[in-house]
Amino acid sequence: MSTDNQTSFTDIPEAVVSVAATDRSVSMVVDSELYPLQAVYGASYIFIDRCYVFIDRPEPGKYRVTLTAKESVEEAEALRQLVGEYANELLSCAWRHQVTQDNRVAIETVTVQAIAGAMGEPSLDDLADFDFTDEALDDPLGIAQSWEDKHGRKSPAEKEQAKAKVPEGEAAEATEAASTEEASA
Amino acid sequence: MKLINLAEIKPRPGTQAFFRWRQIGDNAVLITNLEGNWLILDTAEFTQFARGEVEADSELHGRLLDKNFLRSNYDIQAAAERVKARKYFVHGGPLLHVMVVTLRCNETCVYCHASRANMDAVETDMSIETARKAVDLALSSTNGFITIEFQGGEPLVNFPVVKEIIEYATERNKEIQKRLEFTMVSNFALLTEDKLQYLLANKVQLCTSIDGPEELHNAQRKLPQTHNAFQAAAKWIKRVNEAYVEIGLDPTLYHVEALLTTTKATLDKWKEVVDTYVGLGCKTIFLRPVDPFGFAERARLRLEYPRGKYLEFYRNAVNYMIELNKQGVEILERYAAIFLTKILRGEDPNFLDNRNPAGAGIGQLAYSYDGNVYSCDEGRMLAATQDDAFLLGDVDTPYRKIVGHETIRAMTIATNLDQQPDCVNCAYNPYCGTNAAYNYKAQGSVFGRMRDNNVCAVHKGIQDFLFEKLAENDPEVMEIFERWTTIRPREHFVQEPGAAAELAEGETPSAD
Repeated sequence: MSTDNQTSFTDIPEAVVSVAATDRSVSMVVDSELYPLQAVYGASYIFIDRCYVFIDRPEPGKYRVTLTAKESVEEAEALRQLVGEYANELLSCAWRHQVTQDNRVAIETVTVQAIAGAMGEPSLDDLADFDFTDEALDDPLGIAQSWEDKHGRKSPAEKEQAKAKVPEGEAAEATEAASTEEASA
Repeated sequence: MKLINLAEIKPRPGTQAFFRWRQIGDNAVLITNLEGNWLILDTAEFTQFARGEVEADSELHGRLLDKNFLRSNYDIQAAAERVKARKYFVHGGPLLHVMVVTLRCNETCVYCHASRANMDAVETDMSIETARKAVDLALSSTNGFITIEFQGGEPLVNFPVVKEIIEYATERNKEIQKRLEFTMVSNFALLTEDKLQYLLANKVQLCTSIDGPEELHNAQRKLPQTHNAFQAAAKWIKRVNEAYVEIGLDPTLYHVEALLTTTKATLDKWKEVVDTYVGLGCKTIFLRPVDPFGFAERARLRLEYPRGKYLEFYRNAVNYMIELNKQGVEILERYAAIFLTKILRGEDPNFLDNRNPAGAGIGQLAYSYDGNVYSCDEGRMLAATQDDAFLLGDVDTPYRKIVGHETIRAMTIATNLDQQPDCVNCAYNPYCGTNAAYNYKAQGSVFGRMRDNNVCAVHKGIQDFLFEKLAENDPEVMEIFERWTTIRPREHFVQEPGAAAELAEGETPSAD
């Protein structure tokens, strides 16, 4: 956005808002200490039916929101209205973000009761579609294994079992590897 | 009103338990608590209370104690019971099932474009197969009370499907045994004696629309043949009320009710509106503001108005209704009755658009003619303008997927006033509600912004008016308000499993 074409609104601080009238877009700089990112997303989303919305970080601690109207905006007044509406929506989202955190338990309790009450208990047909297999518990990469199980010293019986499983040509390598492991342990 | 100066009062924590407050007059401050108890204090009393300096042996202390406003004596058990009573509906599941049996309509209303079709648009009729599946879905609800509401378009246009729904639902309910009711919202212009006898025999509650005096009604609702939609409705209101008496029903309890849509043209006619309703034998007026669903932008400019104007209209109309009640005329305003039931009785009448959380999906579902299922009727109307935000599935979608839909979760959270800026601090929080579909349409998100939200303005304005009346404490008005909150259940309209099918066979109505 070019700064040559900027206009200013007399009732909105220039440090906060800059306008590029020829681009039919408006940019606002938002202090990230005052407004959480979730509030910036929430407020921006409200405008996507009317505007193309771009968010970036021109400098640390600042968000820049650029609204470009989809339909032609002839007057600076229309842009000013967009800025005003966005600012109000941003404040509403920021405050709701805080209120929701404060009342999270009450909100979750009511929502769970309402949805569970409306859904009721699952029927046999619903249960028929339920995945009762324990495939979800499979752990092919051994992520759930402890370090000791995965990499720790093997007992003599386990070593014997491992040898028995290794094809003859590879047995010598396996023995060598086991010796190295013992030495480093 | 001279506003209270908090800087002069210097509030500080003291003897008070949690409370919210709102000034409602020069010398009247409303305080409410978490469980919805309320008191109106004068400025001196409020100052003492806000400073936490109420003397233990004072009369004010007694009143505060009685309503659970004092921290030292806070009765948690009593508060929990009150909250439980107010929120009884939360886990109930959908009880209202709006069935749009056709979009075709014989009338053309100035505020209704998107959710109607011309009379030759037979492709917008619900099919028998879709109707049966819709009934199956409705009867799958966890709620033991099921109300199927016929809407349109004009539901009488597709009367065979109305009959099918009534008979199929009643038959299925023999096994399911829910408290099943049917209601129909109709302009009555296509009603015939045969259809009426069928609807009476099957205990279908009838409701119509009256937009005010004849000239205004006919200007807003165009009926092509006679050009007199008002007379068509009035004729049948009279006939239905007579028919209720003929079958032995108490006319004070059983009578046709009508709905008003308040447009710009209605605002100056508050007296004529009330007189028209009284003249038609209606006992209730629901002074609904026009909503933004279903009409074009150019119509909005012609029909809409600032909500301050609406509230002036509301006050004039309800004050007039109170005066009529004092003279022995039985007429109540529905909004007032809903709020007063919560305020005076500590109960929730379960009006789905004005409860916390609202009823979309968890209290109601709307079934469109094409089998699509929406969270609410407003969601269905939005879809008619190519916005499927509130579409949950169709009549083939399993019930639990419909009500467990993520949109329902979002709407339930969005209409929970404990997450809503303004509402969390509002003295009217225990009695109020917000509408997610309205918020979405008017302000772009299901949450909305209450400070510049029209529904909030109307709810606040009506409650201001009601609390001003309660502050005046006029015994006659208090008695009228008590009457307005006395709920007399209309048991006649509850279906007895098996009865409807027998009546249908016995009467063999010939309509359509």
